[in-house]
Amino acid sequence: MNMGFNMRYLELKRQIREVRMLAIQGIAEAGSGHPGASFSAAEIMGTLYFRKMNHDPKRPDWPDRDYFINSKAHSAPGFYSALAVAGYFPPDEIRTLRKLGSRLQGHPVRYSDHQKNHSVPGIEYSGGSEGIGLSVGIGIALASRLDNKRSRVYVLIGDGESNEGQIWEASMAAAKFKLDNIVAILDRNRIQQDGFTEDIMPLDPTKDKWAAFNWQVFEVDGHRVEQLMDALTKAEEIRDKPVMIIANTVKGSGIRHMANNPQWHGKAPSKKQLPVLIEELESECLIAPSIIAGAKENYEEKIKKVEREGIELIHLDVMDGKFVPNSTFLADTIKKLRRSTSLPFDAHLMIEKPLEHIDEYIDARCDIVTVHVEACNEGEFVQIKDKLLAAGISPGVAINPRTTFPEWLDPYIKDIDVVNVMSVNPGASGQKFMPEVLPKMIALNKNLREKGFRGYIEADGGIDAVTLQQVYDAGSRIFVAGSAVYGNSDIHSAIIELRHEAAVALERKLLDQATRLGVRKEWLNARKHILIPYATRLGIKGELHAIE
Amino acid sequence: MDMRGAYGDALLELGKSEPRIVCVGGDTTDSLKTKKFGDMYPERMFNVGIAEANLVSIAAGLAIAGKIAFASTYAAFIPGRCVDQIRNTICYPNLDVKLVVSHSGLTVGPDGASHQQIEDMSTTRAMPNMRVLAPADAVSVKHLIKTIAFTAGPFYVRLPRPASELVYPESAPADQFKIGRGNILVDGSDATIMACGLMIKKAMEAADLLKRDNGLSCRVVDMFSIKPIDVDLVSRCAKETGAIVTAEEHNIIGGLGSAVAEAASENYPAPIKRVGVPDRFGESARDEEIDSLLDKYGLTTKEIARAVLEARSRMQK
Repeated sequence: MNMGFNMRYLELKRQIREVRMLAIQGIAEAGSGHPGASFSAAEIMGTLYFRKMNHDPKRPDWPDRDYFINSKAHSAPGFYSALAVAGYFPPDEIRTLRKLGSRLQGHPVRYSDHQKNHSVPGIEYSGGSEGIGLSVGIGIALASRLDNKRSRVYVLIGDGESNEGQIWEASMAAAKFKLDNIVAILDRNRIQQDGFTEDIMPLDPTKDKWAAFNWQVFEVDGHRVEQLMDALTKAEEIRDKPVMIIANTVKGSGIRHMANNPQWHGKAPSKKQLPVLIEELESECLIAPSIIAGAKENYEEKIKKVEREGIELIHLDVMDGKFVPNSTFLADTIKKLRRSTSLPFDAHLMIEKPLEHIDEYIDARCDIVTVHVEACNEGEFVQIKDKLLAAGISPGVAINPRTTFPEWLDPYIKDIDVVNVMSVNPGASGQKFMPEVLPKMIALNKNLREKGFRGYIEADGGIDAVTLQQVYDAGSRIFVAGSAVYGNSDIHSAIIELRHEAAVALERKLLDQATRLGVRKEWLNARKHILIPYATRLGIKGELHAIE
Repeated sequence: MDMRGAYGDALLELGKSEPRIVCVGGDTTDSLKTKKFGDMYPERMFNVGIAEANLVSIAAGLAIAGKIAFASTYAAFIPGRCVDQIRNTICYPNLDVKLVVSHSGLTVGPDGASHQQIEDMSTTRAMPNMRVLAPADAVSVKHLIKTIAFTAGPFYVRLPRPASELVYPESAPADQFKIGRGNILVDGSDATIMACGLMIKKAMEAADLLKRDNGLSCRVVDMFSIKPIDVDLVSRCAKETGAIVTAEEHNIIGGLGSAVAEAASENYPAPIKRVGVPDRFGESARDEEIDSLLDKYGLTTKEIARAVLEARSRMQK
C-alpha cells in the first residue's frame, strides 16, 4: 500500500499547534481544566477535524456528515479548540471556557435549539460521565447503516475511562452488529486522575483485549499525524468489523514540564506564565535527515535507521545534474521509497524547470515539495503551488545563500508552508555552514511573519550540533541534517545530540522570556525537573539548587 | 388484558407507518413483547443483551442520528442499572428516547425485592427534561405509546408485570390521554383519590367501599402523568373535595404521592395521605399470593379507604 496522505502536512501541524495554544489559553483563563488530556489528543482530533472527517462547519447538521463523539469529554479545552480552528465558532471565545454563561461548558453539551446557550454547533454528544461515548457512537453507526448513509463515526475514548464496564459492553455490541462504519480511537496516555493507569487499574495487554473482543486493531504513535492518517485510511477498507486504533500518546505532550506528569491531569497553569507556554508550543522543532548524506547505501535502509529514532521528516535532495552539477535521484526513486514508510517526505527539488516535472512529484506522494526561486518565475511558481495545494502537498520555496527573497512571492506568502534558507551552495552533501546566512534568516523570519507567513523556516546545509543552536536562534524550526546524522557511525547518539541542542536553545529562549515577564522564579520552579540536564549550559545550576 | 402486550402491539403498528421507529432490547424482548416488532422489522431491532447502560446509550445514539428510539427491559434495570446514562446521555441533551419498562412495583412477585423496582418514578422524575407516565390499563398504553412516539424528548413509561382489567372502554379516544393531564374516572365531592397503574382499580373499589360504609362520595382520578403532574387538577380537587389520598405501587417517597403533595401544598394546601410502599424493600410471593403481598405492604382497597377517612379527619371544619 502506498503511504503519503496528501494532507498538507506542515499546515496540519500548524493547525494542531493552534489547537494546543487555544486550549492552554482557555485553561489558564478559566483557572481550571484538563491540559493533559487536551494535549494528548490534539493530533487525534486535529487529524480528524482538519483532514479525515467529512463535515462542514457551515452545515453542522448536514445529514451525511461523519460524526465525532468525544467520550473522554474532560479533554474539552482541546476539543473546543479543534472545533474553533475548524471554523465552528470564533477562536477568541475560548476565553469564556468554564465561566458562568459561557457556551463552552466544563464538559461539552450536545448542540440543539434546546441547549444553544450552553453549547456550540458541531458538538454531537453530551459527555462528562466516563465510559459512555462508545455506546452512543454505536447507536449512531447503527442508524447510519439503517439509512444506507456513508457517514462514519469516530469515537475518542480514554484509557482511564476504559475502567468502566460499559466500554466493554459497547465493545461486544459493536462486534456483534459487525459495524464497519465506526472507528474507536484510544488515547493511550497511560495516566488517569490518581496516577498511572497500570497502577490504578491495568489495561494492558490492551491490543489483545480489543482483538479478543473481535475488533480490528491498529496501533500507532498518537502524536504522528501520518501514522494516524495511515490507520484511519486502512480502517476504511475493513469490512464487517469495528476498528480500534490504539494511539500511544503522552499526556500533556507539547509542554515539556506537563508531559507524562500526573500532576497536570487537571491543573491550570498560571496566567502570568501563559506567554511562555505559548512560545514553547510555537517552537515545535522538526529534524529532517537528508538521505543523500554519508556512505552510499540503500536509501530504504537509511530511512529505517532514522525512523527507529522517531525522526519527524525525511529530507529528499533531488538533483538533476542541470540546476546543480550533481545528480542524485528523481521522482521515480521517491515513488519506490514511498512504499517503505509513512514518514513525511520533504522533497527539495534542485532541478531545472520544476513546473514541467511537478506532476511527477505529486504522483510520488511527497508531503512537502520545495522549489528553488532561482529555477522559476512568478507565473510558473503560481502554477506549481496551485497544483501542490490542490493535491494536499505543502508548498515550499528554497533560496540559495546569495539569493534575496524575491518580492514577487509576497502575494502568495500565506500559501507557502516552508521557506528553505540554504546555508551552503546547493549541489553536494558535506559542505561547511555559511554563517553569513544567519542575519538573512533573522531578517527574513521577521519580514515574512509581518507579511502573514505562518509556515516554517527550514535551515539546510552544514547543520550540526553547533550550528543548530545558531539557526534556531535565527528562527529556524526545521533542521535538515545530513552528515551530522548519516556521517556519524552512531546515528542514535547523533540524533539525541541534535535534539539536545534544540532543547537547550528552546529552554534558553523560554527562560529569557520568563525573565522578561518577571516570572523567572515561578518558571524555574515549575520546570526544574526538566531543566536539570541543561543547568550548566544555561548557567542556572546555583539557582536550581536554591529551589531544591 | 396485559399492558406489555398492548405496548408490543402499539410498537408494531407504529413501526408500520413510521420508519424512524427503532427498538433496543436487553435479553427481555420476549417478556416486553417487543419481539413482535423485532420479528417484523429485524433491521430496526437491536438486542444488546444484559447490558442496560449500553442499551440506553445506544438508544441515545440512534436518537442523535434521527431515530425515535424505544428502549425496553425491566424497571429493575432501567432505570435501576443506568441512572447516570439516562441523565447524561438522554435527558441532558433532551433526546428522542422513550424508555418503556415493565415489571415495576411489587407485583413482580416471585423474583423478590431485587426485582421489585419501587424507586423508579422518584429517580426519573428528578431528572430535568424527563416525563414520567404510569398508565392504568392496556387502552391507556395503546394511546400513550403513540403519543410519546411523536412528542419530542425523553419519556419514562412504567408498566406492571401482571395482566389487569381494563379501566377505560376499548373505544376510549386517543385525546382522552394527554400528557400532563389526569382523568377523572369517578366524580365525587367528599375526597379525591389520585392513583396510577394497577392501583386505579383499588382506588375505585375504595370509593365504592366508602360510599357503602360511610356514605362518602369520593372522586377517583387516573394520574397516569406523574410528570408533568396536572397541577390545575390537583388544586381543583383540593379545593372542591377538601382532601386527597394518593395510591401507587411505588415507594411513598418521590413518586405520585410526592408529586401531588408538592403541587397541592404550593397551590391549594389540603390534607393529604399517601398510600404506597412504606419505604421498605419488598419480598418474594408466588403469583397466586400477590394479593397477600400487596396486603402485607399496605397496597389495598381497605388501606386507601382508611387513608381517606384519616385525611378527611384533618380537614378544617
